[in-house]
Amino acid sequence: MAEDPKQDAEQTAAVAEVDKFADALGPFVLAAQKTRMPMVFTNATVSGDPVVFANRAFHELTGFGDDEVCGTDFYDLMARGVGSDAVAQIREAFAGTADSEPEIKFKRSDGTEFCASLFISPVVAEDGTTLQHFISLADHTSDREKQSQCEMLIDELNHRVKNILSTVQSITRQALRGATDPATIRESIESRIFALSRSHDLLSHQNWEGADLREVVDAALEPFRGASGFAERFRIDGPAVRLPPKVTLALGIALHELATNAVKYGALSNDSGTVAIDWSIAAAPGGDRLRIFWQESGGPPVTPPDTRGFGSQILERGLAHELGGMVTLDYRRAGVVCSIDLAAPGKLMNG
Amino acid sequence: MDKVLAGRQILVVEDEMMVLWNIEAVLADLGCRDVAVAATCEQAIALIRDRRFDVAMLDVNLGGETSYAAADVLACNGVPFLFSTGYGAHGIDVRFVDRPVIGKPYRDADLAAMLVALLPSGTEVQVG
Repeated sequence: MAEDPKQDAEQTAAVAEVDKFADALGPFVLAAQKTRMPMVFTNATVSGDPVVFANRAFHELTGFGDDEVCGTDFYDLMARGVGSDAVAQIREAFAGTADSEPEIKFKRSDGTEFCASLFISPVVAEDGTTLQHFISLADHTSDREKQSQCEMLIDELNHRVKNILSTVQSITRQALRGATDPATIRESIESRIFALSRSHDLLSHQNWEGADLREVVDAALEPFRGASGFAERFRIDGPAVRLPPKVTLALGIALHELATNAVKYGALSNDSGTVAIDWSIAAAPGGDRLRIFWQESGGPPVTPPDTRGFGSQILERGLAHELGGMVTLDYRRAGVVCSIDLAAPGKLMNG
Repeated sequence: MDKVLAGRQILVVEDEMMVLWNIEAVLADLGCRDVAVAATCEQAIALIRDRRFDVAMLDVNLGGETSYAAADVLACNGVPFLFSTGYGAHGIDVRFVDRPVIGKPYRDADLAAMLVALLPSGTEVQVG
């Protein structure tokens, strides 16, 4: 800038103008300098509205230094890097023909963007000539960020709600397919809906960030341990493992299906059978694995079913599909064994 | 229900098991016994490269990623497809503006009609 003597002279004049301005207005200038609202005064008697004063908040918002701002036409300053629509809006605002305060995406000196409304008020002399423009900017950048985060959450919510409705449709269809007795159909639908609901409770209590495997097991088994009186017949053991939401929901319904089968045909269908649920993390060449075992014993001798019901289909194919892991359901004579093998969380990034 | 999809090769790209079960049940009712399923784009693309499908349906949101990459490969191979989504048609990338979209949840009959409409005409499959 120093290479251009004309520019240099203009800037010196502008700085002198600011000093004059500060002397004349005293405490008001101090207040304007310190307020957190970005504001600028321009000289409206000169074409282009060169800036005569810009406060600290303006420098902070825009990243422009005093040397870049003072003496520079305000319009040029603000029009840097904005789209042609925004240039027209700034023009209208200056001409006083805009219907409302324009909200414009500006570029800072470092190229990053901020979003602000421009409030432009003319300072008019008694003879009607406009002496100055007083311009304040309301920064909406964080509001806009919050809004777009909100929109993302609403999209995500829609996705989840519609998937839940599809899931309920699936549960209903399967219940109607397998039985004719209304009480059985109702029990089948209700118990699965409640199982889903408990998994959702777990997740919503923790902002949908995930849940501990132990909590997932407890939530899935709750109706069987409580009202059904099987509390003493489960043995649960394993280290703390944090599961992402998707795995939480899938395992919740899977454990519910296993427990339902155990009550109907397996270890919980007599007075003495037990179910052991344990898990561990094992190192493996492709990354750590989480291995979960459901092992029934002491029940009546197991005979593999002729046709595999919805529950066992959910387990073997569905769970493996959703977790990207391996699930085997083994109808051993001494008791059903289900083993679930999936990438240990940390590798499971999809929520 | 008519077995309008008997003998057809169908690809279903859906990451949620419970939703998938419903789709498989609907397709089974429509006579389709051989449904290929994928939970991720990567799995879907591997299947598309490996086999010839008559028609495909893709959930837009696969646990965070979109199914667009698989849709592009289908389009490239001339396999007709539809999207299923909980968002409504507005959420789908403009490059798929001409592709049919079914909103979740859907009626069996609507899904059947859309899949049948996508099948190339004059390629009736003999039901044995």
